[in-house]
Amino acid sequence: MEIIPVTEKNSLEQDNRSVKRNEVVRTENLDFFYNPESHALKNINLSIPGKKVTAFIGPSGCGKSTLLRCFNRMNDLLPGSYLKGRVLIDNKDIYANGIRLEELRKKVGMVFQKSNPFPMSIWENVAFGPRVNGESDKHTIEEVVKSALEQADLWKETKDRLNESALDLSGGQQQRLCIARTLANKPEIILMDEPASALDPISTGKIEETIIELKKNYTIIIVTHNMQQAARISDFTAFMMLGEMIEFNDTKTLFTNPNENLTEEYITGRFG
Amino acid sequence: MNIDKFYKKKQGEQYIFALALGLVISLIMVIWIVVIILSRGLGFFWPGEIVHITTKDDRQYLGELWTEETRKEHTDSGIVKINNTQLKTGNRDVYGIDFVWINNATIKSSDKPEFAVVFERKEYGNAYGYISSVQIGDSNYTYSEEKIISIAKKAFDSAQKNHENLLDIQEQINDLLAPLTRIQREISLLEFKQNMLTPAEKKELEILKSKAVTLEQSISAPYQKLTDKLAEYTEIDRKINFTLSLADDRAVDLKASKIVRFYLPNQMNVFSKSVHYISKLWELVSAEPRESNTEGGIFPAIFGTVLMVILMSIAVVPLGVMVAIYLNEYAHQGVIIRAIRMAISNLAGVPSIVFGIFGLGFFIYYFGGSIDQMFFSDKLPEPTFGTGGILWASLTLALLTLPVVVVATEEGLLAVPRANKEGALALGATQWQMIRKIVLPNAMPGILTGIILAVSRGAGEVAPLMITGVVKLAPAMPFDLTFPFFHLDRKFMHLGFHIYDVGFQSPNVEAAKPMVYLTALLLIAIVVALNLLAIFLRNQLRKKLKTSAF
Ligand SMILES: Nc1ncnc2c1ncn2[C@@H]1O[C@H](COP(=O)(O)OP(=O)(O)O)[C@@H](O)[C@H]1O
Ligand SMILES: [Mg+2]
Repeated sequence: MEIIPVTEKNSLEQDNRSVKRNEVVRTENLDFFYNPESHALKNINLSIPGKKVTAFIGPSGCGKSTLLRCFNRMNDLLPGSYLKGRVLIDNKDIYANGIRLEELRKKVGMVFQKSNPFPMSIWENVAFGPRVNGESDKHTIEEVVKSALEQADLWKETKDRLNESALDLSGGQQQRLCIARTLANKPEIILMDEPASALDPISTGKIEETIIELKKNYTIIIVTHNMQQAARISDFTAFMMLGEMIEFNDTKTLFTNPNENLTEEYITGRFG
Repeated sequence: MNIDKFYKKKQGEQYIFALALGLVISLIMVIWIVVIILSRGLGFFWPGEIVHITTKDDRQYLGELWTEETRKEHTDSGIVKINNTQLKTGNRDVYGIDFVWINNATIKSSDKPEFAVVFERKEYGNAYGYISSVQIGDSNYTYSEEKIISIAKKAFDSAQKNHENLLDIQEQINDLLAPLTRIQREISLLEFKQNMLTPAEKKELEILKSKAVTLEQSISAPYQKLTDKLAEYTEIDRKINFTLSLADDRAVDLKASKIVRFYLPNQMNVFSKSVHYISKLWELVSAEPRESNTEGGIFPAIFGTVLMVILMSIAVVPLGVMVAIYLNEYAHQGVIIRAIRMAISNLAGVPSIVFGIFGLGFFIYYFGGSIDQMFFSDKLPEPTFGTGGILWASLTLALLTLPVVVVATEEGLLAVPRANKEGALALGATQWQMIRKIVLPNAMPGILTGIILAVSRGAGEVAPLMITGVVKLAPAMPFDLTFPFFHLDRKFMHLGFHIYDVGFQSPNVEAAKPMVYLTALLLIAIVVALNLLAIFLRNQLRKKLKTSAF
């Protein structure tokens, strides 16, 4: 993937509140193209606070996943795509030269829409991250695995079957395993792309509880197509449409008193 | 409602029928081949009955019933059918041919003599006849037919034992002489240089010479003893003989040590025939060939084939997998990669003889030649690696089967879920870690498919082998108990080439025919066995990798 740096810095019209909000992720004039014809993100300026849950909502195909995947550079894998502007995490440009992708992705974990456990045992799935990141002390890994499973609220169900295949878990358990796998890396930011969209209501509830629990220690950015879910669990919400950021506000304001007409039309269900 | 419409929709049915017909035709042909090979090959070792035929003009034939045929012949009085019987009469050394055709109409009498004997010999094929006398040492036994058989058996057993002793002594003599031979070789190497010897070398030569003398003296007594014994055994060997009387009462002498086994098929019941059958089968898979490959076993060919396939796999699998991984996971997917991919696929269509010629030029002349220059220059101009051998043949076949492995592995790699790959990368794995821990294990079934295809293709290939190291009769196997055990520079035998050689190059094609079927059967069996093994492994892996449960 090609990265085209912006020449004009500070073109961001800084939102006054954003400075106070202990910003962790910031985008500056972010444009993303899957190919020259497919302009998926258009001039996104965003400031995401730490230790909070930020939700991206918007109609299907508006670029929520694309934006999320810019934060851990998952889009790098796509040949022919390119990006303009900057993405800063902890005030560091993650698209700058010399950034080590493995470090970035360890710090910015990701949970995918469809759970993707590896065809290995439960234990090996969770230990995967620490191992590839160079942890070799068995004892340390044991502890990390246990604590990750506990945080993902999966320890009780799996502690007696850690050596069984992860593929034998139920759908909800698999997704929580993926969360645990991400947590085992001790990330600072967790990106979640519609993590509950393929799950039944009970499993969804459990995942939501987990997320609320996790925000004490992690910055969480979650994509959801479910507005109730965004309202239930997020502190801030960004509404996107056709690749543009329409409105970014704290969740309560956005849902009760939106600034933009488009936002209001969307949340009242007039389209989307 | 218009019911006709529904009938019209069924129009495609006749095509389905045609497709099924295609399948049936293919199946019939495959089954046909297998049945022919099985029936022609497996029947060979079952002892057939021996008949003694007297024709109306008083000619006598003794031999094994082989085939019968009916031929139409045009005569003045129209077309007449003639029934012929083919008899394997053996005794090639006497008659010059192994088989005769007899017109059934000319037969006066035909019976199955109880005491007709089949001798399998080390040379000249089978002999058929009656034992008239047996010579053991200086005494000659001529008894009734029944009694002479038991004496013949004893004579044969003692001849075999004697022969083993003889071989044993010969080996002992070789062992005794080995150190002396080695020193003498060194001496001759030094003497070869003549006046170009350095003083140090001259001194060494002196030492070697005196060593040789002392060694010669020290082993002369045991050597004498051994040669005496050898002479003794040779004398015994010489004096165990059978006299056969053939169908036409001709007498023929037969040395017991030239006999592999003898049996009386007309006296054998089903059980003893089965024992005979199994021992012959065992001989086939375990023994060395005899009589320019038309008799005896084909163990060296089996061994050569299997070893070659294994070597080929060792070479082609890592290479093919590496190529596929690079193409699929690392390379920038552009025009060049697409061209390379196409070139690799097209490589699969290159005639195999072309690979053989490449192997000859590149591996043998260039590579092997360089190795000889560097490491075996003392043996030149006699080539060591600069001539055909199992290593070069295997590498040539590895090249030939490379496209299959690459294509199958690429398919395996493509089948790895993208979600798993992204998941690994998202956890901070490097590209290589992701490939090793996620992609390769998941692509294993595809890789195994590649191995299966490569083995099937490689095991059956003959043409490229003929110019890279296969021989009709290898003097030594590519594996033995002398260091370094595997001698990959050696020439080897191969079942596929064996089929060609025995079937079409042997001096006695008619007698060799069953051997061709048997060899083909074994080749198929080996390929099937190797494939079953790989398929079994693949299924085990697939079970482990079964995709997400929901
Ligand atoms: N790999 C891709 N190649 C080209 N276009 C893509 C690709 N992935 C997504 N897009 C396009 O980019 C736009 C945004 O997609 P996405 O971010 O997945 O939307 P969302 O997650 O909001 O539903 C869509 O119009 C989609 O068609
Ligand atoms: Mg999406």
